[in-house]
Amino acid sequence: MTGTEELFIQLGELRRQELRRLIAFSAAAHLVVVVAFCFTPESKISLPRGVVSVELVSLPAAARPAPSAPVAKPEPPKPVPPKPVPPAPKKVVLPAEPTTPKVKPKVVKPAVVEKPAPTPAPAENLEDVLAQFREESGEEAPPTEIAKAAPAAIGTPGSPTGVAISPEVAAWIKRAKIHVRKNWVVPPGFRTQALEARVEVNLDASGAVRGNPRITQPSGNPWYDEGVVRAIQKSSPLPAPPEAGKWNFVFLPEDSY
Amino acid sequence: MRVALLVAVAVSSVAVTAARAAERPAVVVTSGKEQQFGVALQKFGGNFDAEAYREGMAAALEFSSLFRLIDRKAFLGPTTTEVLSDRADVNCTEWSTIGADVFVEGVQRVEQDQFVAEFAVWDLAGCQSKLNRRYRQASSADPLILAKRMADDIVEVLTGARGVASTELTFVSKRGGNPEIFVMDADGGNQRAATANGSINNFPSWSPSGDSIIYTSYRTENRPLLYISTRGQGKPGRILAPLSSKPLYRAVFHPSGRELAVVMSPSDSTEIYRVDLAGKNPRRLTQNRAIDVSPSWSPDGSKLAFVSDRSGSPQIYLMDSDGANVKRLTFNGNYNTNPAWSPDGRWIAYQGRVGGQFDIWLIDPEGNVNLPLISHPRSDESPCWSPDSRKIAFSSTRRGSADIYVIDSSGDHLQRLTRSQGDDTSPSWGPYPR
Repeated sequence: MTGTEELFIQLGELRRQELRRLIAFSAAAHLVVVVAFCFTPESKISLPRGVVSVELVSLPAAARPAPSAPVAKPEPPKPVPPKPVPPAPKKVVLPAEPTTPKVKPKVVKPAVVEKPAPTPAPAENLEDVLAQFREESGEEAPPTEIAKAAPAAIGTPGSPTGVAISPEVAAWIKRAKIHVRKNWVVPPGFRTQALEARVEVNLDASGAVRGNPRITQPSGNPWYDEGVVRAIQKSSPLPAPPEAGKWNFVFLPEDSY
Repeated sequence: MRVALLVAVAVSSVAVTAARAAERPAVVVTSGKEQQFGVALQKFGGNFDAEAYREGMAAALEFSSLFRLIDRKAFLGPTTTEVLSDRADVNCTEWSTIGADVFVEGVQRVEQDQFVAEFAVWDLAGCQSKLNRRYRQASSADPLILAKRMADDIVEVLTGARGVASTELTFVSKRGGNPEIFVMDADGGNQRAATANGSINNFPSWSPSGDSIIYTSYRTENRPLLYISTRGQGKPGRILAPLSSKPLYRAVFHPSGRELAVVMSPSDSTEIYRVDLAGKNPRRLTQNRAIDVSPSWSPDGSKLAFVSDRSGSPQIYLMDSDGANVKRLTFNGNYNTNPAWSPDGRWIAYQGRVGGQFDIWLIDPEGNVNLPLISHPRSDESPCWSPDSRKIAFSSTRRGSADIYVIDSSGDHLQRLTRSQGDDTSPSWGPYPR
């Protein structure tokens, strides 16, 4: 079949049915249609929702942006280490193709699309599961694990002052991350957006959140930021930090691209 | 002297603490597996069938994929609202203890011939009232309309975009033999015929106001022409009369509702036109011998996605609304069709053939990211977006005859909406109700 012919399948179901119809139905059939037309409940899209009136009894907080689609943060400036490939929605395995969006091949062509095969659990997840298990069983992660995990858990390569992060801090960061993420609801519509919020949290020695978490770098989407604060509040108490005081948390959706 | 020393020590220790806080590495939290908001939903107080109302609201909340309902057996407080709470009355800690993030209460009554429902939403983490709203409608109307509406409001409170449980879809069904236009609620409920002319009807598409459906029908003259069925009106209107000497295959409304993109055949070729609702001022947008079909407007109306076989196989293209700047968008596979631009503008969903069947794919308008949303051995076709851009409906033959399914744009929560014997195809998702 040529593309042209195939395309006609789409618009052309109409045409082919027209032909069949021409052959199959005589003028008598048309009469039947006309009669049916007169007696059927034609085109009554029942509209039960006619009059709904709304009264805003009260709305807390200050005015919000119009409740339209979530505000997306402007895309462009993101020279972050590129996420290799957008994670495929379930059931599909995408090939890793680490191209930055700017680079030529405009269209990322998945070379292989495997059918229902379950997505193999990425190593990161496995690590999380283990870490979570350790957290729940009160077991400390082995030192090698800590050493390996530290740089990954920290957003910046090395600490600003060049001082190495102690294994104690690295281990706490990992546990705090796992603890908080369990309490963080990321609506499906936000998961694929490049949203990033930074929040300052005041923790006491036991890990309880003191006062209100403060957004120090908003994502551009107030509902996302609110969700981040909610996640912190819900996570209190966190695992006891190495030191009481202010800690920064950065929230990133995993699937953003 | 001693005092000065003490002050100096105190100041320096504060400075040190501050510096150390700044030095501390940040905890980077990425989204793990999907979490949902736990919602404690009370049965609304009042003299009516509150149980059915609560079930309707619970189902609508779950339809959003954002919520899990907390079992009422776990409630430490009352399961029914007596009166709406003051801030001091809400025991946020208690509700949080049972896993709730959100607490919803409400009351209802019938006032004269009106059904009045008022509800309140509490964000438990910060123990804040998020919304307190009252609805009224004719007492003869279905209370579940308000139940869904409230559920959609709760979604909006937490995400900034209203939920879509109270929206509708139109589609084509052959359940009675011939293809007729049908309408149903977004959850698949309340399926009913919008046409019953015994002819061939196809490609239904909503007007932006949600009042009408435009579709192609052979109902008169035995050739494809465009009709509009409007809510509450018995007879469909035939439109574009000045163009009706030509076959008119399909039309979609411009987001403004004031004009249409129309697929028609002026001669041998099939082209896309832009025309006002009276059928006047047609402007031909595509100019070549290939077949150009399946237009879909960008949400701002400045661009169109469409399908053309000018390269030899059907592919998705973009052009400006005046036909300029044509750009091929898809290069993957040899048959890509039925583009649908998301209302938030971020994606174009389409059906692409890989192997023997069609799957639903997503591509961004720049063509940088192209990924399969669903992949299944049977064909998935004709994607369309919910008005909040969080869901996609499509038709699939995965259970034999074609049915309408819906899935989150993240690829989760597949739901089957229709289960009829005949094929159900060509869905179009309506706008938010007013």
